[in-house]
Amino acid sequence: MLTIGALANVKHILQKELFSVSDERLLSVVTVTKTFKKKDKRACYLCVVTTTPITVPVVSLCLVKQSEQRENEYKRKRSWALDEIKWVDGRNDQLETHEFDIQLEKLYKWYALHPHERQNFLAVLNRQIQKNVRGQRAEFRNIPSAWLSEKSPEKIAAGRTGDAALKAQQTDGEESEEEAQEFTALTDREATELGKLFSECDFAIKDAEQFIEQLSKELHDLDGANIQSVLASEQKVLKMMEHIDNAINEADKFETRLDSYEDILGHVKETMEKIGGKNAMIEIANNNNIKLMKELEKVITQLDLPHKQQQALEDPDFKTEAGIKAAIAAAQCLQQAMNSDIDSALLRLEAVQDQRKRFEKWKQKFSIFISRYMNNMFIHIGNEIGDLPLTSNELVLPNHSNVHQSLAPYTELMHWTKAMDNKTYAGLMRVYTASLCKIYDRDLRNFFNLAKMQVSDKLRSSREDLDASTTSRKAAVSTVPYGTLGVNRDQWGPGVDSADRVRFDALLEKVLAELEPIALQEQLFCINFFQMDVISPTTKNTQTTLEVMEKSVDMSQSFTAASPSTDGPFPQKRIDRQINEDVRNLMMGLFDCLEPELVIFIKSFERVDSFYSLYVLVRLTQHVMSAQDTHSFLSMTFASTLVQVKRNFDSFMKQQMQSIKESKLPKRSKAGILPYVENFENFAQTAEGIFRKSDRRTDMERWYLQLVNAIFETISEQSHEHPKTPHQVVRMENYHHMYSLLAQLKVRGLDGLKKEAKVRYNDALKAYVTHYFGRPLEKLNLFFEGVQQKVAQGVKETEISYQMAYSKQELRKVISQYPAREVKKGLENLYKKVEKHLCEEENLLQVVWHAMQEEFIAQYNYLEERIQKCYAGAMINLEFNIQDILTFFSDIARSH
Amino acid sequence: MSKKPTAGPALHKVIMVGSGGVGKSALTLQFMYDEFVEDYEPTKADSYRKKVVLDGEEVQIDILDTAGQEDYAAIRDNYFRSGEGFLCVFSITDDESFQATQEFREQILRVKNDESIPFLLVGNKCDLNDKRKVPLNECQLRAQQWSVPYVETSAKTRENVDKVFFDLMREIRSRKTEDSKATSGRAKDRCKKRRLKCTLL
Repeated sequence: MLTIGALANVKHILQKELFSVSDERLLSVVTVTKTFKKKDKRACYLCVVTTTPITVPVVSLCLVKQSEQRENEYKRKRSWALDEIKWVDGRNDQLETHEFDIQLEKLYKWYALHPHERQNFLAVLNRQIQKNVRGQRAEFRNIPSAWLSEKSPEKIAAGRTGDAALKAQQTDGEESEEEAQEFTALTDREATELGKLFSECDFAIKDAEQFIEQLSKELHDLDGANIQSVLASEQKVLKMMEHIDNAINEADKFETRLDSYEDILGHVKETMEKIGGKNAMIEIANNNNIKLMKELEKVITQLDLPHKQQQALEDPDFKTEAGIKAAIAAAQCLQQAMNSDIDSALLRLEAVQDQRKRFEKWKQKFSIFISRYMNNMFIHIGNEIGDLPLTSNELVLPNHSNVHQSLAPYTELMHWTKAMDNKTYAGLMRVYTASLCKIYDRDLRNFFNLAKMQVSDKLRSSREDLDASTTSRKAAVSTVPYGTLGVNRDQWGPGVDSADRVRFDALLEKVLAELEPIALQEQLFCINFFQMDVISPTTKNTQTTLEVMEKSVDMSQSFTAASPSTDGPFPQKRIDRQINEDVRNLMMGLFDCLEPELVIFIKSFERVDSFYSLYVLVRLTQHVMSAQDTHSFLSMTFASTLVQVKRNFDSFMKQQMQSIKESKLPKRSKAGILPYVENFENFAQTAEGIFRKSDRRTDMERWYLQLVNAIFETISEQSHEHPKTPHQVVRMENYHHMYSLLAQLKVRGLDGLKKEAKVRYNDALKAYVTHYFGRPLEKLNLFFEGVQQKVAQGVKETEISYQMAYSKQELRKVISQYPAREVKKGLENLYKKVEKHLCEEENLLQVVWHAMQEEFIAQYNYLEERIQKCYAGAMINLEFNIQDILTFFSDIARSH
Repeated sequence: MSKKPTAGPALHKVIMVGSGGVGKSALTLQFMYDEFVEDYEPTKADSYRKKVVLDGEEVQIDILDTAGQEDYAAIRDNYFRSGEGFLCVFSITDDESFQATQEFREQILRVKNDESIPFLLVGNKCDLNDKRKVPLNECQLRAQQWSVPYVETSAKTRENVDKVFFDLMREIRSRKTEDSKATSGRAKDRCKKRRLKCTLL
């Protein structure tokens, strides 16, 4: 600002001192020093100057220097026309650059003192050159292009410095106007005002003095008017002051009045507050009274027992339906009253205590009534049914739903007893159990006796059948159970056939099916009648005890206990388990003899049929698995019986295993099929018939594996024991039989053993054939075995005949021992022997003989080949040829 | 052979004959165990026994499954001799096997020395009808010539498997009852047969 001011100052001075004289106008000035003349402290001014003639303005650049002697004297040092400027170099684009060069007749290097002056100057210079120079124009280098394009250089400065005054001045874009503004002292309006003034006093130009006079006169007038108006206003001011004083007085008065009002109001407020407090107290008292009334009413309604009900409690009539209803209603009212939710503090009221004592009395009395009545009833029912003769001979369990029906009306009373008097409740339950247990005991025993009788009946009839068919066998009573694998069929004790087994199974099914609904019905009734699905509270369940202090504790417990649905401290699972156990215990009491009787019944099969455990296992498993409630009494009973049966099943299987291992070879001329191998067929078929579709299949298959393994082992062990039959035959026949059995059985788990049986059979067959086959041509075979040894020792085949022991003569000697007739005889003997070894059941004679025929032909071929090789050209032949052999075979075939 | 008299069910002995690979074992296994074995393994000789119910009567059937390939036909004499009835099997897809039946038939008749021995001509593999090489009428013609029944079977699909065994057992049974009835009457006849055999030797 200051610099601009200074510049404006310099500009003004230069205009005034220097250019006005020569009728020129200064457009722009920059304070510079020559860069190469640093010592020269005097400021130089580089100016853009225009002439102000009317026609064409001539713009020139001129250098002005301050005079050395006098501060205010300026000299025009040099002047150039604009077209003399070749180029202007700003050195660089930076705003704060001081240097710039101008190429004129020579290069001038300047240093501007103020960068903004330099900017302004360069911009103006450029503008003037653009405007005034025709033809070649000076080149501007290294100067921000903005400066050169902007119309007004001051604008940039204004934009940069934010000088509002400058900005306001230069709103107009018109260049000439801008330039004029700097030097026009009067605005247009002032000028017109002045003009007007001058026109009014058109004489002024002619007579200045008169004009001055007139002006001073006017001025004087104006002063006078001014003083007068000042004097006039003082009066008004005084008046106003007065008004103000009045107003102040009024305000004071008003204030005092307000204060008094406030005082009064304060009093009123205090009084009102007091009244309000009193009112609240009254309301509280009123509310309390109402509450008290309510509480009292509640207590009274809760503890009040209508007279009618009192009567019903004191003299209950359990014989009529209406009487029972009334008694139940009264009892429930009593229960409700005794359990009513009364605050512990209120319990201290004497009236309440009295009422409770009365309740207690009623309760005890009523409880005794119930106890007596129900006791009689239970015993009566027990006796009544117990006296009824058992007429039915059919295998059905009597249904006691009539008992349940007759007891049903008393259900509510039992529930009441349970809630109110645990002791009586428990007592009644005991009596009920005892009375009904007698009935069920008798029913069950009778039922199972009938069932057992049916078993033995069937047994008898089947025995008779057996007797009829095999009288001779029956004579010798054997102790070996029927179906024992390791013992020959002849020695088995009496058994049953599969049809009987089916009948037994059906009988068992019927027994189980009969038990289920009866037990279920009783269980349902008991749960309902004794309300066993609600856990029985262990703590005192009424508030009848008068010890108030304990009550609060008791109460909370009894309430949670009485409503198990809101599972307070008891998790649901535990409650269920508890209920289950209670029910089970009750049922156990009622059906005391069920399990032992069932076990005895199942045992009764054992005497008849050693295979009983198989189908009983399957049947019971089915019942246990299909039971919905696995924790019910019956399921548990069945399950524990099932465990026993499973044990029996396993021990039966163990016995079978044992019998296989301990079995003895039959004392027959040939071993044939061993008893356990033969019996296994029947055994497996029976087992499959029972287990084919059962869940317990895996149990059976486990035993199959063990049994078959035991059979294999025992076959191998015993094959050597028979005095006449060679062990190969024993194995061959028995493994062949086992293979066939297993193939028919089609038990997947036994596939491995089936293959094993086949392998063992084939091995035994091969062993038998090769071992027994040397016989017909034994010496020849021995001879050539020796030959073969020599060959193995390195003797050439063609030189064998030179060995003493294997000379042609020797060979001839051996061959001569086997004339065709002898060979045929040998084969016939072999056939007979084989026939003797093999048993008919397995039908392997043809198979073995086939193999032997092949073996014999193979041997013949071998011998022939050996002779041709070792004794070539010796014309030695066996005394029979292949045709002979085939004829022998055919002959043997025909002779059988 | 056992000491005690066989009071058990009647026993019928059946022999499977025919060329190799025609499905004798397959038919046997299918009949015995309800199974069909795909892979072929030549049989040497194998014996099977099964209890079956034939027209309400429990009987036992012995099946001797024989080798199709044999170096010397005479080896067969023995088991032909033991048979009571024959299933002569060929494959309808193999003409050679059909031609071979002629030879089997002749050998059986020679060994058994009996024109009316229970005998069924069985064309197996009838599930492979599109590969048939032996025309049906030719088979039927041959059966007619021999006056034996002709049945086509498939061991694979079990078609007619039970039928051929049961038909043969029925023939064997009726033959046996005939024989036992005529024991006295035909004693002469049978002796004649024996004698006839002797003269053959």
